[in-house]
Amino acid sequence: MSPLRRFLRKPEAVAGAILLAALVAMALSAPMLFPGDPQAIAGPALLPPFQDWSLPLGTDRLGRDVLAELFYGARTSLAVGLAAAAAALAIGSVVGTLAGFAGGLVDEVLMRITDAFQTVPGFLLALAFVSVVGPSLGIVVIAIALGTWTGPARVARAEVLSIRERDYVAGARVIGMHPLAIAFREVLPNALPPVLAMSSVIVAAAILTEAALSFLGLGDPNRATWGGMIAEGRAVLRTAPFLSIVPGIALVLTVLGVYLAGEGIVETTAVRRGLS
Amino acid sequence: MNLLTVSNLTKRYRRGGKTIAAVDDISFHIEPGETLALAGPSGSGKSTIARLVLRLIEPDAGHIEFEGNDFLALSGAALRQRRARLQMVFQDPLAAFNPRSTVARLLDDPLRIHGIAARAERPRRIAALLERVGLAADLAPRAIHEISGGQRQRVAIARAIATKPSLIVLDEAVSALDVSVRGQILELLLDLQRQERIAYLFISHDLGVVRAIAHRVVLLEAGEIAECGDARTVIDAPQSAIGKALVAAAPRLNRTRP
Ligand SMILES: Nc1ncnc2c1ncn2[C@@H]1O[C@H](COP(=O)(O)OP(=O)(O)OP(=O)(O)O)[C@@H](O)[C@H]1O
Ligand SMILES: [Mg+2]
Repeated sequence: MSPLRRFLRKPEAVAGAILLAALVAMALSAPMLFPGDPQAIAGPALLPPFQDWSLPLGTDRLGRDVLAELFYGARTSLAVGLAAAAAALAIGSVVGTLAGFAGGLVDEVLMRITDAFQTVPGFLLALAFVSVVGPSLGIVVIAIALGTWTGPARVARAEVLSIRERDYVAGARVIGMHPLAIAFREVLPNALPPVLAMSSVIVAAAILTEAALSFLGLGDPNRATWGGMIAEGRAVLRTAPFLSIVPGIALVLTVLGVYLAGEGIVETTAVRRGLS
Repeated sequence: MNLLTVSNLTKRYRRGGKTIAAVDDISFHIEPGETLALAGPSGSGKSTIARLVLRLIEPDAGHIEFEGNDFLALSGAALRQRRARLQMVFQDPLAAFNPRSTVARLLDDPLRIHGIAARAERPRRIAALLERVGLAADLAPRAIHEISGGQRQRVAIARAIATKPSLIVLDEAVSALDVSVRGQILELLLDLQRQERIAYLFISHDLGVVRAIAHRVVLLEAGEIAECGDARTVIDAPQSAIGKALVAAAPRLNRTRP
């Protein structure tokens, strides 16, 4: 059975994929459906949902279109989540590979640095970093990656430690290959599968961290974010709860979708590896 | 002049508090175009010697002279460059290659690393190498797990001869192959030796194969040399206890003897 067929047989994986597809569709279609600035005033303030069909989800305290903000928020969440996870996986793989392959002092130093990063809670690290450097999309991505790369680094190192004893690494040395070329061309690609298996959890966590940062007012101020929307709605939680509930639901569904689809992919491909 | 001179080579391993000498004060030499076999029971130190000679591990004592130079004094880029002259073929051809590689990439590596051929010329060189080891050139784009064990060992030999080495270390290079394929690979090795004057350090526990292919043999026991000399002389009339035991345990050998 092909991995795709096996994936399609898991209802939770399919549900995750559908949620994820909806999120991607929202993110991609935002500029076409809402060509204007999502942060611009679009109508009267605090218009409830389903009243005016040109503003289906109503408006917030400043009269901004909630649906447009939701779509643009999907863009931010997805962009930050994917970029931060990619950065964390890249940093982690490189650090883990160097530590595991070089061994000795290099390994010792790199792993102590990893320990140091791991003792500080990731969110605190991100918070401190953004407060010091200032909020912008790039900084938020780096801040989240700083708190997440240690997990992939440890997994990559463990994998590299077992791979570097294989004959083909000795073969590469005998052929005269440079140690860095051996580490990154021969060893790293073969150490990646278990590292990549962590991506669904990492992307989901990154999306949540981004939301939490923008909820605290540390997101990019020039972009619509779900965290920022929830924070905005908090002031009128009693009279207009939908302002917080709508982005909150979007966030939960997104994290759920990423996680379920990611786990589905990992499981179906892992089964295939196990069988072959 | 000797191609390779190994003197007083020693490698110790610490195991559970006590130190054992995997290779204990061993000396031997190989002449250009010669096949020296290393034989001995499992754990006698054959692979350790191979790894020491190839500078995959460092000895605790001893000297290795290769092509007239102190081989142990080399490091970094100088060592990598000199490696072109000293190649290896491993026992398990599947484990010896990166599982993601293709035949073409495996043969491209030595040509690229040692600047043997320009990029544009390499596909032609790869085809020529494949042909030299008796493989079809259209095998090049195949993934390494898509070819047979015998073909893989031919690719390993092609990779080893790509840099025109003067010595190839073969650690049980034919042991994993079935008998008919083994004969063909040995034929290929002998043919290469005749034409390119490559010397072999041939590691095997199969004395039948050793007798057929090696000029001289070194019999090892527990990291020490038990006996050495002309391959036929030693195998036909072993003097040491371990030599007698190894000959007695070699069934093919007994059948071929008068
Ligand atoms: N990395 C290591 N650490 C500890 N001991 C080792 C190591 N490598 C080899 N040894 C020991 O050194 C001795 C010689 O091992 P070696 O692999 O050279 O034997 P061998 O002659 O190649 O055996 P085989 O025919 O089974 O391949 C053995 O006792 C082995 O256990
Ligand atoms: Mg061995």
